Amino acid sequence: MNPDDFEKRLEHQRLRPIPGAWRGEILDAARRARDHQLSTITPQPTCGWREFLWPCPQAWAGLAAVWVLILLLNSVTREPARAAQSPNSPRAPEVLMALRDHRRLLAELIESPTEVEPPKPSVPGPHSQLPQRTVAV
Amino acid sequence: MSPSDFLARVYDDHAHALFGFLLNFTRAETDTKDLLQELFVKLAKQPGLLEAARDERAYLIRLAHNLAVDLMRRRATRGKNYEQLAAESASIFAPAVEPDEQAFRQALVAALGELPPEQRAVVHLKLWEGLTFEAIADALDLPPNTVASRYRYGIDKLRRRLRLLYEEIK
Repeated sequence: MNPDDFEKRLEHQRLRPIPGAWRGEILDAARRARDHQLSTITPQPTCGWREFLWPCPQAWAGLAAVWVLILLLNSVTREPARAAQSPNSPRAPEVLMALRDHRRLLAELIESPTEVEPPKPSVPGPHSQLPQRTVAV
Repeated sequence: MSPSDFLARVYDDHAHALFGFLLNFTRAETDTKDLLQELFVKLAKQPGLLEAARDERAYLIRLAHNLAVDLMRRRATRGKNYEQLAAESASIFAPAVEPDEQAFRQALVAALGELPPEQRAVVHLKLWEGLTFEAIADALDLPPNTVASRYRYGIDKLRRRLRLLYEEIK
């Protein structure tokens, strides 16, 4: 048998065509797989806040940071005033000492009723009231 | 071109050839359909796969071959003998009008089923895809000499197996 003829004979055997119904099924499956892949990558529309912030998320983050700073400063500056107002709050020892001195001084003043007159101011009188000097000649 | 149009274009251009190759390799229509679907799902998920390919057909045959080999390995691990499956299988040829020709095609299908899958793949691509040994080597990621020797072994086996029938109907 001539090898060329044999191979040519084989070559001329017509292959079966692919079943026509497969086209739709295979392409649909491929499209579904692609859509599924895309839906797992892209964010879900349920995240409405993301869409709201999307135009400029940095600006929103900066604004949030400024607000946090303002609240922080506000709470820090309000703290000493609150401490002074509340009776139960602990006081600084210097303040307590000053308060104690103040009370002691007040008590001393109340206990000694003698009034100490303030020194009169020395107003110079008229010349006629000046003490006369005797001059011996 | 939209992704859907791209898939449809690839299908229309290459599905027939891939079908013949996979059917001859797997010898089972259901496996062929599963593998074709797997291949197109892969293309749908990674549309850039074909962009770098010099020869679309050769690249798709390589993808199809790799998927088929993976399937064979999975089958082997599950204990299913692929050679037995090849012997059972469906015809890759269209029915012939003449009885002698039909008998020859049936005998050819049986003889192809007796070849090892890798020889069958090379014989198929050479005879029915008309690829050169270099193109087959590129598609199957094999050295050209290996491809040529596999083809020779395969053709010799087919010739021996079909000699009587061939001489009779020639």
